[in-house]
Parts: sequence; C-alpha cells; structure tokens
Amino acid sequence: MSERPVPPRRLWWLLAGFGVWCSALVFLYAVHAIGCAFAWPAGALRLALGVVLLVHLIAIGWMWRDHWAASPDPGLGPTDAFLHTVIVWTLIAALVTTLLTLGPALALATCV
Amino acid sequence: MSALKLHRELAAIWATGPGVQRLAAVNHSVIGLRFMATAFVFFAIGGVLGMLTRVQLATPDSDFMDPETYNQVFTVHGSMMLFLFAIPMIEGVAVYLTPKILGTRDFAFPRLTAYGYWCYLFGGTIITLSLVFGVAPNGGWFMYTPLSSNVYTPGVNADVWLLGVTFVEISALTLAVEIVVSILKMRAPGMALDRMPIFGWYMLVTALMMVVAFPPLILGSILLETERAFGLPFFDPRRGGDPLLWQHLFWLFGHPDVYIIFLPMAGALSTIIPVFANRRLVGYRAIVVAIIALAFVSFGIWVHHMFTVGIPHLALAFFSAGSAIVAVPTAVQVFAWLATLAHGRPRWDVPMLYVFGFFFIFALGGLTGVMLAIVPFNWQAHDSYFVVAHFHYVVAGALAFPMLAAFYYWLPLLTGRTAVHRLAVPAFWLVFIGFNLTFFLMHLVGLLGMPRRIYTYPADVGWNWLNLLSSVGGFIMTIGFGLVVIDLLAQFRYGRRVRRDPWRATTFEWAMPIPPAPYAFASLPLVGTAVDDTAAGERALSLARGEGYLGFARNGWQETLGVHMTSGAPEQLIVLPRPTYLPLCTALATATAVLAMLFQFYALTLAAALLTAGLFVLAGQSAGLARDYGPLPVGHGVSVPPHTEVTGAPAWWALIFTLLADGTLFASLVFGTFYLWIAAPNWPAAATPAPDPKLALAVIVALAVATAAARGSLRALATGGSARGWIGLALLALLAAIAACVALIGGIAPPASEHALGATAAALLFYVAVHAGIGLLFLVSNLLRLGAGLVSPLRSLDLRLTRLWLDYTAMTAVVALGLVLALPLLVAMLGARP
Repeated sequence: MSERPVPPRRLWWLLAGFGVWCSALVFLYAVHAIGCAFAWPAGALRLALGVVLLVHLIAIGWMWRDHWAASPDPGLGPTDAFLHTVIVWTLIAALVTTLLTLGPALALATCV
Repeated sequence: MSALKLHRELAAIWATGPGVQRLAAVNHSVIGLRFMATAFVFFAIGGVLGMLTRVQLATPDSDFMDPETYNQVFTVHGSMMLFLFAIPMIEGVAVYLTPKILGTRDFAFPRLTAYGYWCYLFGGTIITLSLVFGVAPNGGWFMYTPLSSNVYTPGVNADVWLLGVTFVEISALTLAVEIVVSILKMRAPGMALDRMPIFGWYMLVTALMMVVAFPPLILGSILLETERAFGLPFFDPRRGGDPLLWQHLFWLFGHPDVYIIFLPMAGALSTIIPVFANRRLVGYRAIVVAIIALAFVSFGIWVHHMFTVGIPHLALAFFSAGSAIVAVPTAVQVFAWLATLAHGRPRWDVPMLYVFGFFFIFALGGLTGVMLAIVPFNWQAHDSYFVVAHFHYVVAGALAFPMLAAFYYWLPLLTGRTAVHRLAVPAFWLVFIGFNLTFFLMHLVGLLGMPRRIYTYPADVGWNWLNLLSSVGGFIMTIGFGLVVIDLLAQFRYGRRVRRDPWRATTFEWAMPIPPAPYAFASLPLVGTAVDDTAAGERALSLARGEGYLGFARNGWQETLGVHMTSGAPEQLIVLPRPTYLPLCTALATATAVLAMLFQFYALTLAAALLTAGLFVLAGQSAGLARDYGPLPVGHGVSVPPHTEVTGAPAWWALIFTLLADGTLFASLVFGTFYLWIAAPNWPAAATPAPDPKLALAVIVALAVATAAARGSLRALATGGSARGWIGLALLALLAAIAACVALIGGIAPPASEHALGATAAALLFYVAVHAGIGLLFLVSNLLRLGAGLVSPLRSLDLRLTRLWLDYTAMTAVVALGLVLALPLLVAMLGARP
C-alpha cells in the first residue's frame, strides 16, 4: 500500500468502450426506426446509419489509441497496470463488437 | 487479548437476540440464510407446479387440469422460478458470502438488506397465496399485453403479478445498490481491485446489471398497472398505445436477467474450480474483460425475443449478430475454467460432479441459444417447445448445477461437515439423467411443432411418446432433487467431520469460525504480497486473536472498515446499525400499500405509501453519530475518521447508484414516449396537446430555487450559520414545483385516459412531481437530524445527499418538461409524414 492510489474516476473507463457500443446500437436503432417511419429514401437512410456507425467507431478507436499509447503510471502500482490492461482490452472488444454486430447489417434492405 | 474474550465482546455487540428478536435481525449471515431458505421453499413450490404441468402433458387429451388451472400453474411456475427463486437465490448467496469472501464484517446497509428480505417474502407470499385462492396470474411469465390488459384479463390475476413482482423487484434493486457499494467500499484492508477475489468482480458486475436491468420492468409494470387500474392506455392500440412497448420494456429486463442469474454462479465456479484444480485461476484479467463485455452485450440483444413481431430485417440483423457474438465472452470464461483444470491437478469431489454437469448442460443451452439467435431458425422455432428446452438448459446450466456445486462446496462452512457420498453421488446422477431426459426431448417435440403453453394435445400428432418420456424424466429429476435435500439435511448430522478450510482454499470465508460468528471476523484480514499465498485456514487463529484490523470492541459499535475504491487502503471507520424492527415494519407498510392497490383501496394505498416514506425518514434518525470524533485508531498504527465525517461515505455512493437506477427508469420512460410516437397506431390523437409553457417554466424555476437553497444550506452549515432557513426555502420551492406539476397534469390534452399521448405526458409530469415529493422527505429528514445534533460542519452528508437528489430532480425535470412542451411539434411532424 505504499503506492499512490489509482483515482476511482478511472473505473469509469472500464465502461467506456461498451458504453459507446450501446450508444451506437441505440442511435442506429432509433435513426433506422425514424427513417423508416418517415419514408426516407433508402440511400439517405443508409448514409445516415453509416455516419452514425462511423462516428462511434472513431470514438472507440480514438479511446483505444489514447490508452494504448499511455503506459501505466509506475507510481500507481500494479492496480493501475491491471486497470490499464483491462481497459485496453475492453476497448478492443468493444471496437470489434461494434464492427461485427452493427456493420454488416447496414448492407441489408433498409425497411423491409 | 485472548481469542475467547474478544469473541465474547464482539458477539455481545453483533449477535441477533433470541425468540421474537430474530424478527429484528439485520446481520448479513442471518438475512443471507433466510434469503436462500425462502428461495428454496419457492423452488420447491415452483418445482411441484412444474411437475403438475408434466403430469398434464404426459398423455394426450388429458383432463388432469382444466385450461384455466393449467394457465395459472405454468404462469406461476415460470414467475416463481425466475422472480422468487433464481434472483433471490443469487441475492442470498451474494448477501451471505460476499462480505466473508471480501474479508469484511457485513454489508454497508444492514437494515436495507433486511427490508429487501421482508419485501421479497411478502411479495412472494402474495403470489403464492393467489394460486391457493385460484386468482393467480395466468398470462405467462412475461405477462404480454394485450392478453394481460383488463379487456382480456379482467380479474385480479394480472394485478397479482404486476404488484407482487414489482414488490419483489424493490427488494432486488435495494440489494443491488447495496452490493455495488459494499464491494467498492468495504473490502479487507489492502484488497486492491487487482487482488480482489474473482467472485467480487462477478458480483460487482452482476449488481450493476441489476441496477440498470430492473427499472425498465418496474416502469413497464407501473404503466400496465396504471392502464388496468386507471385506464391510461399505454398498451392499448385503439387509444394510441402499443402492446409491443410492453415487450420492449420486459425484455430490456428479461434478457440481461439470464446473465444476472448466470454471472454470480460463474463467480462461484471461478472460485470452486481453482480450488479443486489446485492452481490459480487461468486468465483473471481476461475474465474481468469478458464479464464486462457480457454485461453490456446482454442488454443490447433484448430484441432477439421479438424476432417474429414484424421488425425490419436490417434492425433484426443488429440483434441477431449481437446474440451470436455474446457467446464469445461466455466462451472466454468456459475456456479459462477448462484451462485451469487442464493445467492443474484436479481432484474429484461432489462439487466437481456438479461442475461437470454444468459444463455439459450449459454448453448445450448455449449452442441452442446461438441457433435461436439466427433469425430464420428463430422464426421456425419461436413459441415452440424447442424454446422451452433451450431456456431450461440455459437456466439449469447457469443456475441449478453451479448452485448445487456451490452448496456442496460452502455448506461445510455452516456445518463443519462434508457431504454423505452414498447419497450425494446417486442424487447427482438422478438429477443429471432426469434433467436431460425431461428437457432434451423437448427440443425434438418442439421441432415436431408442439407449441408452448398448450394445456393438452391430440393423440394423432406424433408427440405422445416424447411427452411421456419427458414427464418420466421430470419425476426422475424430482427424486434426484429430493435426495439432494435429504443429503444436505443429513450432512448436518451424519456428514464427515472436517477441519477448518476442508478444501484448502485461499479465500477469506474459510478464515473464520465454523459456523461463522455474527461479526464474521474478530479482526479484519490484511491483504498484501507478503500474505497472499497463505492458506485461509492458517490465518484464522491470528484473526481470531485480534491481530488484524479492528481486533477490539469499542463503544458497543458494530465497526468495520471502509476502504479506498481502487487501492483498498483504509479510509473510514464504518459504524453499522444494530438490530431493529424498522425493516419489518417498513416492509409491512409497503405490503399494505401493495395489497390495498390490489384490492383497489386507493386511499389506503396512499396512506400506506406515506407511512412507508415516514418510516424511511424515521430510520434516518437513528443513523450516524451524534458528535464529531475525528480520526479513530483501527489497528496497526492506522487511524481513520468515522464514515459520518468523510466525503465518500457509503450512503453517498448508494445515492449515486440509486440515481443510476432511477435514471434508467426515466430513460425507459423517455424511450416509451418516443416509441409510441414513432410506432403506435392511431397517432396523432384527435386533440392537439397544448401544455402551458408558463406553468412548465414555473416548475423549472421552483426546482432551480430548491437546488440553490440546498447549496445555501450547505454553505450556512460550513460557516457556522443556520441551515434551517435555506431548508425552509427549498421546502417551499418544492411545494410550488409540485403544485405547478399538478396543474400541468390537470390541463393535459388529450386527457390521459383517452389517448397515449396524454398518458405519456402525464407520466412524465408525474415523475417530476414524485421526485419533488421525495425531495420534501429529504428536507424534512434534514430538519429532524439538524435538531437532533446529527449534522455538523464535519458531518454534512445529509445536506450533500439532499443537494444531489435535488440536482437530479431538476435535471430530469428539464428533460421531462422539454419533452412535454415538444409534444405538439412531434405530433405536427407525424401529420406531415408521407
């Protein structure tokens, strides 16, 4: 217990990657529902969905790059190293999940 | 100090009194055992109901039960197994084991634990008694609308489910908040997050899932009960409602619920398997990543229960892909367990038999889950017995087999004995064979076309022998469970006596007396590199002699340590409340409100609800310390202030996580409003809404004044002035906000009972008014506690909690009122669509 403690706010990062995945799912589902309800042209709807997905992918990718580049603070001890590893891997998992679960579907017919 | 003297002193402080005083118990060991025992009783009742359905279906054209009785029996079977057995059982395991495994003396809010238990018991009793009186829920365990609306279920059957289950869920939610806060703030000194037993991570993630999963169903139940009781048409398509909104709200809870049941048991497996493999768990970090991923993805696939309702293919594909990919984090855990076994030196005992059973059953349930995740197959198998087989494999694999492994593993902690092998082994095989015979064949009969929930079937459709064998399997399984019960009871008397820590485990629950003392640890263990590899049993004597932290009794206080969230460094002395009848009285008042609602005595409902609120305020008057103490010694040369004098007290975090749950409920309500706008038939309504913007502004201004006054009260307290004037101002402002909300509700167009547009506006405004009303309770409690000397510049937690509550109320009010004011515009947009 000689190291400085890791600030508790760092724990929120454990939720960040999949939090963005949730946001992507909710926004895609909502935009799709609104687009179909208001009879948007298929191309415009698909473009809107693609933009929503891309924004979320960029957000997770940016967080991943940011954490990947930053090494754990040695002054914070093994707890920080542990949290660093877990956060980086949740971001990677979230990025892959976002791509695989939400990407291919955008190629399907929009409102059938 | 000798171990015996310390034991006597601590036992005098922590013990629950005999006789009727047991009703005042708040100790986690007592309440945890009560949860598990009660859940087991409901499991037995639910099991008998399941057997009755198998008797009915064993032969074609059976008249063992009439259709109405059959509907009630299978509905209560499912509801009981999920809401009264599965969730409470994992709560009981969490309550009983988590503090012990994490090396602390109790949970953060013992009275809340007890209140949760009584709510569960009363709610479960209401549902059980309804079956006896022939008015049990009869619309299936997920209570779909419109079947459960008062048009098609005019009696109280559906009300019993809505009110009883909501009552039980209050219990689950209170416990979830408590578990989160306790794990984050109450661990053994030095137990940093990277040193926390994996069980702690599982329980933390599970409890967080519960905090977010239960509110959508609670909201759905409230809305449906409001429709049934007062005619607000949230789910009635003739008046702008939509039955599918219920399905969304239900499955937003229902799908994560599967993982809420699975994860604690996976935590048990991750604890048991390394012990029997004689090596550390493989992939600790990977498992933490996997359970976080699982927690999120399990929420994002709720629609896979709704593949056949007519959602466009593109949206279905999101949920289909998610449902398939959720297998990956599950598989990470399974492979970690297999790797632990493969790299260790496994030894076989009864718990490992059930671990084997788990692998077999859960893998099959998982595989059929992936099959059902694929939309075309789902369309074929939907609502057939294939689905019944699948979820029984999942739930039994996720819960029943690991639970029995856990019972056999941890029961020596209570009894000091291990299982009677001559009974335990045949009992396992009877359960295992009976289970597979019962449910595997259901896959086949489902693929042959047998639909769910039918009370009988004709003899010429080719389902006869499969159903008969399923029923035979059901009886074999029941005999197996009977033997398990006999074996567990026999263990108390005839089991093989064992020394402390019979399995040579390293977790702290084995470093305490057998059976556990009410104070759990005579002194709290230290976690650090020097002691990490010490067997738990070897630490027990040192802890019993008081050589850890808090190895003494002081002031008759029930003391434990609060730690830094990440590092586990001691940072506060938590003084817990003693046994009290308040939780029982408060739960009785809540039960009265529920029963009065059930029987439509609305004045009594209101009175009992106010009494419940009053009892919560009363409970607040006996919390905390009556003077400032400053840092107090806790052992090993460390001194920390009491929890009343720190900023990060458990109550602060509890309110934050309560607001997370509350925010989820609010978000669900906002989702419901938009869902009805975009998807419900018969929109727009005949009348155009025209909410009064002046009144809406008045609500916002009044709430802003209340939040400013809350800040003023804190400033006054800190500078030695009187906070009472500011609190009085906040009270007046909240009363003004409530009055303006009521006026807005009164002027809603179209009227709330005529169209869902008005009903959703009313619900949003009611949400704001209720929160302002709860804010009044906070303020009244502040005044009382200021008068009693429980608040000081150093002990300002009460006023900070009030400020936080009022800030949340004001923020949600801005969103709610903004949405109400935007409704005319939204309706106009609907009118303009092609």
